[in-house]
Amino acid sequence: MELGLNGMKAAVTGGSRGIGKAIATLLAKEGCDVSICARGEESIAATRAEIESHGVKSHGTALQGRDGESVRGWMRETCDVFGGLDLLVCSLSAGGGTNDERYWYRSFEIDVMSAMRSVDEAYPHLKKSGNGSILVISSMAAAETFVAPMAYNAMKASLVTWSKQLAEQYAPKGIRVNCLEPGPTMFPGSNWEMIKVARSRTYSGVLRQQPTRRMGEVDEIARSAVFLASPAASWVTGATLRVDGGYTKGVQF
Amino acid sequence: MTIQRVKPGDFTKTPVEKTEDPDFGSEMIPKERYTSRDFMQKEWDRLWTKVWNWGCASQDIEEPGDYLVTSLGKEEILLTRQPDGTAKGFYNVCQHRGNRLMMGQGNATTFKCNYHHWEYKLTGEFENIPDIETFPQGAPPCGGLTEVRVEEWNGFVFFCLDPDGESFDDFIHPLKEHLGPYHFDRMVKVTDWTVEWECNWKTSVDAFNESYHVQGIHPELLYFIEDKHLQIDTYEKHNRYLIPFATISHRVNETTEIPHLIKHAMKEAGMDPADFDGRISEIRPALQKWKREHGAEQGLDYSDLNDEQLTDDYHYMIFPNITMNTHADDLMLFRQRPHETDPDKMYFDAQMFKLFKKDEELPRRKPKNERFKHGERSMGLVIDQDAANLPGVQRGMHSAAYEGLWLGDQELRIRHFHKVLMDYVGED
Repeated sequence: MELGLNGMKAAVTGGSRGIGKAIATLLAKEGCDVSICARGEESIAATRAEIESHGVKSHGTALQGRDGESVRGWMRETCDVFGGLDLLVCSLSAGGGTNDERYWYRSFEIDVMSAMRSVDEAYPHLKKSGNGSILVISSMAAAETFVAPMAYNAMKASLVTWSKQLAEQYAPKGIRVNCLEPGPTMFPGSNWEMIKVARSRTYSGVLRQQPTRRMGEVDEIARSAVFLASPAASWVTGATLRVDGGYTKGVQF
Repeated sequence: MTIQRVKPGDFTKTPVEKTEDPDFGSEMIPKERYTSRDFMQKEWDRLWTKVWNWGCASQDIEEPGDYLVTSLGKEEILLTRQPDGTAKGFYNVCQHRGNRLMMGQGNATTFKCNYHHWEYKLTGEFENIPDIETFPQGAPPCGGLTEVRVEEWNGFVFFCLDPDGESFDDFIHPLKEHLGPYHFDRMVKVTDWTVEWECNWKTSVDAFNESYHVQGIHPELLYFIEDKHLQIDTYEKHNRYLIPFATISHRVNETTEIPHLIKHAMKEAGMDPADFDGRISEIRPALQKWKREHGAEQGLDYSDLNDEQLTDDYHYMIFPNITMNTHADDLMLFRQRPHETDPDKMYFDAQMFKLFKKDEELPRRKPKNERFKHGERSMGLVIDQDAANLPGVQRGMHSAAYEGLWLGDQELRIRHFHKVLMDYVGED
C-alpha cells in the first residue's frame, strides 16, 4: 500500500525521543521532510541526523514545552524553512507520575497548550496543503482509569475531545484531524523503563493487565500513527485509534 | 553522564581530597572471622574492650540525672549526665551481688539497685547501703560503680572499656575535621530502633561498606544515586565513600519524568519539581544551588557544608561498627553490636537524626528505643532489603562450599575494615 507521503512536509512536537522520535523517523523514511522540537539539544541533533539519513530535510529547535512563544516560533520557523506544511503530529508530553497541583499546570501547558499552539500556527499552511493532516497523540490512559488520578490522564482526555471538534471544523478546509491513544510503551529511556526498576510493583501490575504480557514498542505505535497521518487514510477523520495491544478492556462500539 | 564534583579551590570545610588507595592485595578474607566463637572471643578481648565505642546521642542524656543503658556483648554500660553537664559512664552492675543496676533510659536522682536497694550517686559513689553495720568488712573498697572512660563529641557519647587505652582524639582522627561541619548536635533524633539480626555484626558492617550491591538488591536506587563512580577514602582506622545523590546511575537511561526519589528530595527542600524544565542530570547541581540560596530562610544553616554535601551522601564508617549516612538535613546512623554469645547474631541499631526547619514542629517527645526482631516490622524499603538479605549471607558462611570473601575494588572499604580489625585482633 502506498501511503503517499513522499515529498511531504511534516512536523512532530516532542520528536526527539520515544514515540515521537519513531514517528518522525518513519515519516522521514517514507520521504517527508521532518521538523522536531524537544528539550534536549543532543537528542535533537541525533534525531535530525537520523532523519537526514533518509535523504530528506530536517529542522529542529530545543525549547521548553511550556514556553508558548517558543513553540509558536518553532512552528512558524518550520513552515518558513520547509516552505509550507502538510502534516502535524502533536506528541509533546510532560509525562505522568504525580497529582500535585503545579503538575496540572505543567501538563496543561506541555500536553494541551503546545498542541493547541502548534495547530494554531500551522493551520494556514495546512489549509494550503490540500492533503493537510493533524494527528494528536493522546493516551489509552484517557480512556480507562489508569494507575492513579493524575493530571496526565485528564489532560490526555481533553485532547481526544478537542481533536474531534477540530476534525469537524477543519474537514471542509481539507484538513483531517485524528487522535491516537497508545498503550504502555517501552523504549530505552522511557518512563516505563524507570518504573520497571524503581517502582516494580506498579510495573508488574500494569503488565499483568496486558494480554500478551509485554508493552508496546515505539515502531508499533509509529506505524499506526504514520498511516493515520498519511494521505492513505484520506477518509479517516475525527477518529480516535487505540493502539494498546489489548490493554484496555472496555468495548468501543 | 558526568557527575559534577567539588574541585580543589571550591569551598569546603570537610576535606574532599581523594586518599591514595592502599594496596591490601586481593587475598580472600577467611569466613571464620564471621562464624567462629574463638574469633568472637578474641574480638571481645582485643577489640571491643580496647576500642572507643559509640554509646548514645548526647540528647539521649540531656538533663542532669538522665541515664541510658546500652549493651555491648555481655556487658552493659550505664551512661549518665552529671549535674555539671559532663557525661559519665559506668559498668551497669551493682557491687553487692552483681545485679543489673538500671534498665532502659530515664531520669534519676540516684541509681538504686532493685534487689537490696544499694544506692549510688550520679557520680557513681555509694549513696546508701541498707544495714551497712551488718557488713563487718565494710563497704566494698572500690567506693561505688566502676567507671568507664567517656568522651562527648559532635552530639555523641563514646565510651571505652580500656582505662589505659588510646585517647579519643587519637582514635577518632581525622573525623573531627570531617564531620564537625555537619553539626549533628543541631539535629533531633526522630527514630531509635534496635533489631536482632541473624548474622554476625561484621556481615552487617560489610553490607553498608560498599555500594556494589545497589544494582543487586536496591535497583530502585539506580534512579536516585550514582552507585559505581564514587570516591572511596581510607584513613588510619575509619573510612568513607562520597556517593552522589539526587541523580541517576550511569547504569540507567535518563528519563523525561523525574524519578520519584529525586522529586521527593526536591520537594523536601521546597523546590517544586513541576517548575523544573531541565534534564534529570541537571537537577543535582540545581538542587544544591537552591538549597544554598533558600536554606537560611528556612532556618537551615548550611554555611559549613560544601555544595555537594547539600545533596550527596558522605558515607562514613567509624571503626569498628558505626555506619553514618551523612546528609545536610539528616543523619542515618547504624550501630552494629555483637551478640552476647552467638557469632551468628547481632543487634542492629538504627537511629535517625533530622535538622528541623524553623517553622517545622518538633516531635513532642523524644523517641524511646524500640526493640524488635527482623521481619516484625518495616524499617523502610531499603533497610528492609538489606535486612532480608543478611541471614542468607550468614547461613552461606557456614557452607562447606564457601571459603571466604572474594572482594573487588568497589569493596575496598571492606578490605580496609578487615585490615584495621586484624590490627586489633592480631590473628585469625
